[in-house]
Amino acid sequence: MKTIEFKQLDETLYYEKLENGLDVYILPKKGFSKTFVTFTTKYGSVDRTFVPIGGTESITVPDGIAHFLEHKMFEKEDGDVFQKFSEFGASANAFTSFTRTAYLFSSTNNIYNSTETLLNFVQEPYFTEATVNKEKGIIGQEITMYDDQPDWRLYFGTIENMYHNHPVKIDIAGTIESIDGITADHLYTCYNTFYHPSNMLLFVIGAVDPNEMMTFIRDNQDKKEFPEPTPIQRFFDQEPTEVAIKERELRMDVQKPKVYIGLKAKETNLSGRDMLKHELSVQIALELIFGRTSKFYESVYDNGLIDETYAFDFTLEKGFGFAMIGSDSTDPVALEKAIKEELAKYDGDAHFESTDLERVKRKKIGFFLRALNSIEFIANQFTRYSFNDMNLFDVVPVLEELTIEDLKKAFSSVQGESQQTVFKILPTEKGVQ
Amino acid sequence: MFKTIPFAKGVNLHIRQTTQFKTVNFSIKWRKALTATNASERTVLTNVLQHSNAKYQTTAAFRSFLDDLYGTVLYFDTSKRGNEHTVLMNVEAVNDHYLANTSVLNEVLDLLHTAIFEPNLENGIFKESIVEREKKTVIQRIESIFDDKSRYAQQRIQQILRPNEPASISANGTIEDIQKITPTSLFEAYQSMLANDKIDIYVAGDINEEEIVAKLKEALPFNDRTPEEIPAVLPQQHPQNDYVREQQEMKQGKMHIGFSTPVRFGDADFAKMQIFNGVFGGYPHAKLFMNVREKESLAYYASSSYASHYGLVFVVSGIEPKNEEKALSLIKEQLAVMQAGDITDLEIEQTKAMLTNQLKEALDSARGQIEIFDQYKDLPEEFSVETWANKWQAVTKPDIVEMAKQVQLEAVYFLSGKEQAAQ
Repeated sequence: MKTIEFKQLDETLYYEKLENGLDVYILPKKGFSKTFVTFTTKYGSVDRTFVPIGGTESITVPDGIAHFLEHKMFEKEDGDVFQKFSEFGASANAFTSFTRTAYLFSSTNNIYNSTETLLNFVQEPYFTEATVNKEKGIIGQEITMYDDQPDWRLYFGTIENMYHNHPVKIDIAGTIESIDGITADHLYTCYNTFYHPSNMLLFVIGAVDPNEMMTFIRDNQDKKEFPEPTPIQRFFDQEPTEVAIKERELRMDVQKPKVYIGLKAKETNLSGRDMLKHELSVQIALELIFGRTSKFYESVYDNGLIDETYAFDFTLEKGFGFAMIGSDSTDPVALEKAIKEELAKYDGDAHFESTDLERVKRKKIGFFLRALNSIEFIANQFTRYSFNDMNLFDVVPVLEELTIEDLKKAFSSVQGESQQTVFKILPTEKGVQ
Repeated sequence: MFKTIPFAKGVNLHIRQTTQFKTVNFSIKWRKALTATNASERTVLTNVLQHSNAKYQTTAAFRSFLDDLYGTVLYFDTSKRGNEHTVLMNVEAVNDHYLANTSVLNEVLDLLHTAIFEPNLENGIFKESIVEREKKTVIQRIESIFDDKSRYAQQRIQQILRPNEPASISANGTIEDIQKITPTSLFEAYQSMLANDKIDIYVAGDINEEEIVAKLKEALPFNDRTPEEIPAVLPQQHPQNDYVREQQEMKQGKMHIGFSTPVRFGDADFAKMQIFNGVFGGYPHAKLFMNVREKESLAYYASSSYASHYGLVFVVSGIEPKNEEKALSLIKEQLAVMQAGDITDLEIEQTKAMLTNQLKEALDSARGQIEIFDQYKDLPEEFSVETWANKWQAVTKPDIVEMAKQVQLEAVYFLSGKEQAAQ
């Protein structure tokens, strides 16, 4: 077991790569009574075309299958795993993103029982045609629920606009039609390909003794047999730099229009410290141009073009990335115009002053230290960073060394006119229906 | 947990020294009776105070200053509990210990004073342009509930169950009352809040107690006051069995059902009622989740919540509109089987374990410590996790059955798409 100390932050991290390839991290937190454990596979909604384990040809599986698989992991021959966690007083959950599927629990008691339950239920698949079909009604209602959420439609509509081919444009849960074609065989194929321990990471944080916990996990894993790990081959079509659709709108039963400007990233093949630096640079550049202390913000706020829903964000993973800026707005056309004008007149030297950069760095450092109070934040973010060969605890040192040149270089990769798209949600016109 | 120190008459300071967090948290709560007018005025007031102050006269200047203080978080908000309306100001700053050669704590204390006592005024009242802009912002916040169908449906069932009562008055107030606000009326509300409200001040973090008390006395010069008594909500049950259907353009049907119970927060049977709710629909092992979702595949979510300050229990579920009757009868059946005593030991044990765990987990954040202590501090006995764990442990199956029998269906609200309505 390796020990990694972060003196400035008063944190010590314990790490071991087990024989079966599983990465295990343990971070004890003094003063906390709960322990939070996440068990994550590097497998998400974008992994739809791949060579199945033991196979030679690539296959494409139905949309929404990673999420469907996540749901089905909880059902076993002897019942629902939630029941077991409840007995131990543990709250369990799971989520599927574009690139990850995570299973997790938190609890203040019976930590070893719950950890064992987590490891075992994720490593013992049980799928039958009957249980798979039963789940279709439940997930169907989950999809319908999201269909009725204007903010989700806005977010996904913007992504759909940006991408020609990349599966990030496919809704994580799939569609009612696509999930209808899912079978138990599909689930086993995906499970066997992506749930090998060498493609997974276990993070334990909270009221925990690192030595005892590591031994417990190692013993659990040593008792199980896994095939030799083989590299996973995933396939993605070539994706052009420019967006697929420049502009689109959707009518929904809302009071007020919503608008997002999407900026498609072209620098999406980074990893490690370069990726961290790039990601932080774009975020800070956005903050300087569009943040609450910017001239832009003051002007659109005073003109009543934005409200409290105003937000901007940058997402970056291997193979795709995008920034989004938008708000609910009584005048979405004027807001769109204002954002596009701001992007058009962008000039790194004028927008980025060193005192402003220092201020935003301080803000980011403060945000990071505050986030370290949350064991959920640490576990989830550490895993995401690690899957991209970054280290969460590098955030502060990398922030400290960022320069205006870094910001200019990074922002130029999302700023091109052909990389911009607009998506609007407008109130249904009365009488049209 | 917190040490309570009288700060002024009607004002209490609660301090917790702990090294658990990398930040220091401050929370100040002003309390007044909940009426639509009070809620409206005080919500606009929080927006105006958050916008700017005499020292930092624009949002940009104010935000720049906070960013410079290592992203110190400062926000105002409003909330409600029973018949009480609360204005709260939360401030969270990085503990100096984690900053190389820098101290932010003293500046943060100055900031508390500035944000509360040095507003951005013109001719002795709030600036009209800011007031008008923030009135609009709050109105838009209230209107936006319509776009979130779950929140809208929940608001509707509350209005159907308890019209024009605190249980259905939003902490944000109403559009009509907000429109009536003037810079003068808002300034009067501000002065009254500072002078007359019951106030609780919280500090949690790695602080020196004596030092922080002295500095807070300087930063927060609150005068003695005799706050108005705010009575608890009286128990009431009206099992009239209302059924309200409404349509919007949407795909899913949102079923929100309102039940009442005579048992409220702090009553002798409160712990029993919490266990009842846990078994009924509070958790993934509960009857609603297991039957409506897992067994019948009717829904992605089906759960209950206990609004203990109002003696209400809400059941919510998102279903295919054609399954309306089936889902409703299945939900009613879960209550009926509990009333008939069909409750397993396992369900009870799971619920007790979950409630205890939830309480312990909530105490792992500074905000959680403040909110839980704030909620329980007015009960006669001193708050501790053990006291509550023991209370839950003592609850028996007959207790739960007794609780179930007192729970009465009052109204069903079903929001669904327009096509289905034509059937």
